[in-house]
Amino acid sequence: MTADTFPKLLDRNARERGPRPAIREKYLGIWQTFSWSETRAEVETIAHGLAASGVQRGDRIAIVGDNRPNLYWSMVAAQALGAIPVPVYQDSGASELAYVLQHAEVSFAVSEDQEQIDKLLEVQETTPGLKTFVYCDPRGMREYEQDFIHSLDEIKQAGKKHKAANAGFYDAEVARGRGSDIATFLYTSGTTGNPKGVVLTYDNLISMSEMSVELEHIRDDEETLAYLPMAWVGDCLFSIGQCYVAGFCANCPESQETFLTDLKEIGPTYFFAPPRIFENILTSVNVRMQDSGRTKQRLFRYFMGHAKKVGVKILQKEKVGLGDRFKYWLGEFFVYGPLKNTLGMSRVRRVYTAGEAIGPDIFDFYRSIGLNMKQLYGQTEASVFVTLQPDNEVYADTVGKACPGVELRVDPDSREVLYRSEGVFKEYYKNEEETRKTKTEDGWVHTGDAGFIDHNGHLKIIDRAKDVGVLNNGSMFAPKYLENKLKFFPFIQEAVTFGAGRDHSAAMISIDMDAVGNWAERNNVSYASYRELAAKPEVYEEIRRNIEQVNADLAEDSELSGAQIARFALLHKELDADDGELTRTRKVRRKFINERYDAVIDALYGSQSKVHCEVETTFEDGRKGVSAADIAIMDAKLAGGAPLAKAG
Amino acid sequence: MKHSERKFGDTLLKVDNITLRFGGVKAITDVSFEIREKQIFAIIGPNGAGKTSMLNVINGFYHPQEGTITYKGNPRHQMKPHEAAETGIARTFQNVALFRGMSTLDNVMTGRLLKMSGPSMRYYHNKLANMPVINYLTYPAMWFGDFLLDSLYWGPYQKEEVAHRKAAEEVIDFLEIQSIRRTPVGRLPYGLQKRVELGRALAMEPDLLLLDEPMAGMNLEEKEDMCRFVIDVNDEFGTTIALIEHDMGVVMDISDHVVVLNYGRKISEGTPAVVQADQDVIDAYLGVAHEEDLNEN
Repeated sequence: MTADTFPKLLDRNARERGPRPAIREKYLGIWQTFSWSETRAEVETIAHGLAASGVQRGDRIAIVGDNRPNLYWSMVAAQALGAIPVPVYQDSGASELAYVLQHAEVSFAVSEDQEQIDKLLEVQETTPGLKTFVYCDPRGMREYEQDFIHSLDEIKQAGKKHKAANAGFYDAEVARGRGSDIATFLYTSGTTGNPKGVVLTYDNLISMSEMSVELEHIRDDEETLAYLPMAWVGDCLFSIGQCYVAGFCANCPESQETFLTDLKEIGPTYFFAPPRIFENILTSVNVRMQDSGRTKQRLFRYFMGHAKKVGVKILQKEKVGLGDRFKYWLGEFFVYGPLKNTLGMSRVRRVYTAGEAIGPDIFDFYRSIGLNMKQLYGQTEASVFVTLQPDNEVYADTVGKACPGVELRVDPDSREVLYRSEGVFKEYYKNEEETRKTKTEDGWVHTGDAGFIDHNGHLKIIDRAKDVGVLNNGSMFAPKYLENKLKFFPFIQEAVTFGAGRDHSAAMISIDMDAVGNWAERNNVSYASYRELAAKPEVYEEIRRNIEQVNADLAEDSELSGAQIARFALLHKELDADDGELTRTRKVRRKFINERYDAVIDALYGSQSKVHCEVETTFEDGRKGVSAADIAIMDAKLAGGAPLAKAG
Repeated sequence: MKHSERKFGDTLLKVDNITLRFGGVKAITDVSFEIREKQIFAIIGPNGAGKTSMLNVINGFYHPQEGTITYKGNPRHQMKPHEAAETGIARTFQNVALFRGMSTLDNVMTGRLLKMSGPSMRYYHNKLANMPVINYLTYPAMWFGDFLLDSLYWGPYQKEEVAHRKAAEEVIDFLEIQSIRRTPVGRLPYGLQKRVELGRALAMEPDLLLLDEPMAGMNLEEKEDMCRFVIDVNDEFGTTIALIEHDMGVVMDISDHVVVLNYGRKISEGTPAVVQADQDVIDAYLGVAHEEDLNEN
């Protein structure tokens, strides 16, 4: 019998590496370890318990909560019975939850605690199909007397009885599972419209897990931290897929707040995080360095400077002089080693990041202290893996080469990235129209992302396909790509770029008050307000230098060299979600901004050097006011003889 | 909703005709009330009404000149703080009184002191209060041996330490302060310090928990958290809680029974709804009664 489902893989692991750790959870301040054989026993008991509570093959079971062994076990127990686990984001509100549970026709929910049960009770009013609730943590549950709410301990008790009465039931149920069966529904958060339920089979998840385990040489003694939401495909693939395939140990942190401490205690060998987390860690390092003594600060600065010079080269096994190597070794002893230890990354062999663009400075910081950080590009629809940066071929601005078994192509007209692999999802649940739109008959999936393959054969993602336009000079214009490049400069908080259907690109920028203010104080530039600071010629000069740096970068890029930024303006106010200029997740709302700042945009494409701008703003207490200012427009130098077709 | 339909147990603490004087000043005059098991009991009143004095009387910190305190059926004229602590009364303070240089975990562990049963510890809490220091030396062998074994973390001592650590960790888990387990409390924001203080009191596994203005100086979110913890403590452990609070919204929301003090006298008592409607209480808070007093004089 080949192990083509997770319950079968669990059986295999319990047989082959029974006493080895499968999952840990920090509880009451202590890491509690569960071995593979214990895990199998727990899963078997829960599966019996679920069966005793009436769960049948094909039923949908919601999993709601933080990463906990009990929830992972419930997921696999459901799969053992042929039921379909539907993990949902634990922090989603009741209405969001209601949509998913109704859409997936969930009848049974396993949740972490009282908070989730309260939410489920609220959802239940509009979701009659939702019949039974189970909770893991009994705290605060004493007075819930509804007969359809059970503790997981009760389920386990019932499971033990059921097992005694039905010997062989579990094995028979597991044996009925097939690789082509549905493993789970994962709902994508979806920036537009309702979330879509991505249907993934065991074949999808296991093939991608096997591919990545082999490609990245993942062993059964790896330690990972299972801290990302269970409803996210990455967690499903890392903490269940790869974990079950390779047989390594996943560690569940004590709580979301203790994540950094837990990271340090576990010292994972294999770590994944979105760029945001790496950014936060780096910020806290910098803040704490500023609080430390002068000697330490000097040591840190000196050796970090050296790491910046040779660290990445040493990591990439390039040629580095003996003296520099020795100095790097000293740095490892005094700075990098202790720093990595504090961050919990001493044992890390692989670090991945994905999800959005990572700032080159952040990326280089981690790589320069010897962490093998790599980017990957993936989607729920692909069971994560589409591309991955191979060792020694790592660049801050690409997402790597197609993984083995993944076919990749870029549509020449729309520049949209398409892929095909064994990991490609079965369908969107109950949404044939979207399925047809996304997945072609012969299995190619439209990512919705625009990109191109660069001279190294690496995929570069530049923007959402629908936002990509063309300049009048024929060059591709990808607003988000430019904006990200701009935002990586510390002085620039937000940027909005224009260029589709225009003669040249232009940018509207709001400065970072903290960073620029700090700089102004150190350079004797006096100012009283954001508006005044943003209008200072000195500040314009600094930003112009940033923009010209971006232009120089773009000039090296054959596809984008025509999209260099010719003119820019600094806004007199911060772009703000309260004013509707940004979404709550801080994404630029282009259409709205185009209307609101049309005067500025006209000026960017006109010849005047100043424009009067008036916009309505909303204060935090809901009152409205008008913010007006004269905004200067400045030209920036273009690099490398970019073709500019100036019309008129 | 469920909260108001609750059933309470027998009388846990009864104060009868308590009068407390500081020289010529009467802080409390002839106040009586009783707190029943599992109740959330609130003492409210304007500034200087004698609320904290009342708590100090219950806790044995102040000794009233008149009246009796009956705790768990034992009437006594006055209590000593250590007796109060030993018999299951724990408290928090209006101004946080933690060991600022110690971590959250260590602060919570200090709440376990009275539960520690090693010979030296038993000796500590039985004798410490009444004994001149010199008497320690009469038991040097026991004291030193015990101390040594305890610090070596060996045998039964290890087992005991583990058990107490577990209890402390349970409190930490309950109050959701895992992320500050190792942080010196002096570095924590005020709201969290208050939570740690509650944690230390809970580590004593008290029967009666006295909270002196648990929400003072907190922002709305911190207050909501604290309310939830107070209710949860009461629900989960069945702890009787007596609290002083200025925030009327909080008091009316969470308490089962309210006593109102003004100028050291009890002016009203009952459920929150009853107290809220009482004209004397309204007057005391708005200052009307005060004005009339002046006129009469």
